[in-house]
Amino acid sequence: MKKIILLLLLLSLSFSSCEKDDICDATTATTPKLIIEFYDILNPTVLKKVTNLAVKEVGSTSVLGFISESKIQLPLKTNEDLTKYGLILNSTDATIDNEDFLQFNYTRQSIFVSRACGYKTIFTLDPTTPYIKNETSTPDGYWIQNITVKTSNITTENETHIKIYF
Amino acid sequence: MKHTSKFTFSITLILLSFLVNAQQKKTDSIPPKIERFGIRVGADLFKLTRSFYDKNYKGIEFVGDYRLTKNYYLAAELGNEDKTTIDDRLNFSTKGTYIKVGFDYNFYENWLDMRNMVFIGMRYGASTFSQQLNSYNLYNTSTYFPEAPTVISGEKFNGLSAQWFEVVVGIKAEVLKNIYVGFSVRMNRMISNKKPDNFDNLYIPGFNRTYNGDFGVGFNYTVSYFLPLYKTKSSQKKVEKKK
Repeated sequence: MKKIILLLLLLSLSFSSCEKDDICDATTATTPKLIIEFYDILNPTVLKKVTNLAVKEVGSTSVLGFISESKIQLPLKTNEDLTKYGLILNSTDATIDNEDFLQFNYTRQSIFVSRACGYKTIFTLDPTTPYIKNETSTPDGYWIQNITVKTSNITTENETHIKIYF
Repeated sequence: MKHTSKFTFSITLILLSFLVNAQQKKTDSIPPKIERFGIRVGADLFKLTRSFYDKNYKGIEFVGDYRLTKNYYLAAELGNEDKTTIDDRLNFSTKGTYIKVGFDYNFYENWLDMRNMVFIGMRYGASTFSQQLNSYNLYNTSTYFPEAPTVISGEKFNGLSAQWFEVVVGIKAEVLKNIYVGFSVRMNRMISNKKPDNFDNLYIPGFNRTYNGDFGVGFNYTVSYFLPLYKTKSSQKKVEKKK
């Protein structure tokens, strides 16, 4: 009988692997952002850095700033099937700044992550019109020359989804 | 923290019961003792009362045991639960039935005609249930857009099941003739768990909240009635004489 008790004690000890699962870990892959890479239009295999790029949602005042990057991450709206951004190149210089509008069209899917994180959204870019490029009301020409969709399934941030040539 | 303290508590309970056990050894002369055998049936008072004060919970658990030998009892619990869990990011309802069968081993040496139990036991548990996802929040590390409103779902996942083992530690005390009050704590370990697509069994009737690593805890607070079936005179124990 002592052996039984000992055995049960050991068994119960093996259960004691308590883990915290109340806080969503920052390393958990949740809703991915849209990953955009910039390439040189004259040399389409070479990455090119954007200078003082300001990105803001049309109608919004908060700005995402990129001083000198060839790869940027933009969040997509998780409660609408489109997100429209204005991308302003050389935003710090009023004489040469240039704004182009980019609207991304997609469908959304909710994927279960965990108790602490809840669900995440993954996106699929619309197969026919994944994006719409627009000019501002005062035309100053497009700075974005060409856009290609590399991956239309936006599920992780580990891959590039859109390539922009300028 | 909450489960750590639960764990500590149960360990303390085990240790305490050893103390009690050790003390009883000293009994010198044992009068012929009548052992009663029979069936004990009852219900979990905690689940019953919680159903009244917690609007997100409805549950009942019937308990029963049958005395096989002097110390071994065949034990079982049968229950039904309907619980809505409201977490920070998820709101879901779990409905289902469970059964647990196993044994209890009484290691409490009763004095005279007392019929109490301090026991340790094991159970095999099985549950069939459904989950309904009421609403959820989308997790987004970007704070550029205001947080998306809570998504109302209502999606239902039927035909789910789980199986597990439990280690039970508890006491049962006869408070009135044939009326017992009992308390037990349980530690659960999942064996199999049929999860829904694109959701998880975060609560399982009988098993309770699931944690990472298939670990669970539970307890019950029971009142039961002992139905005596037959009696035996325990074979006169040899009095341990040191000399």
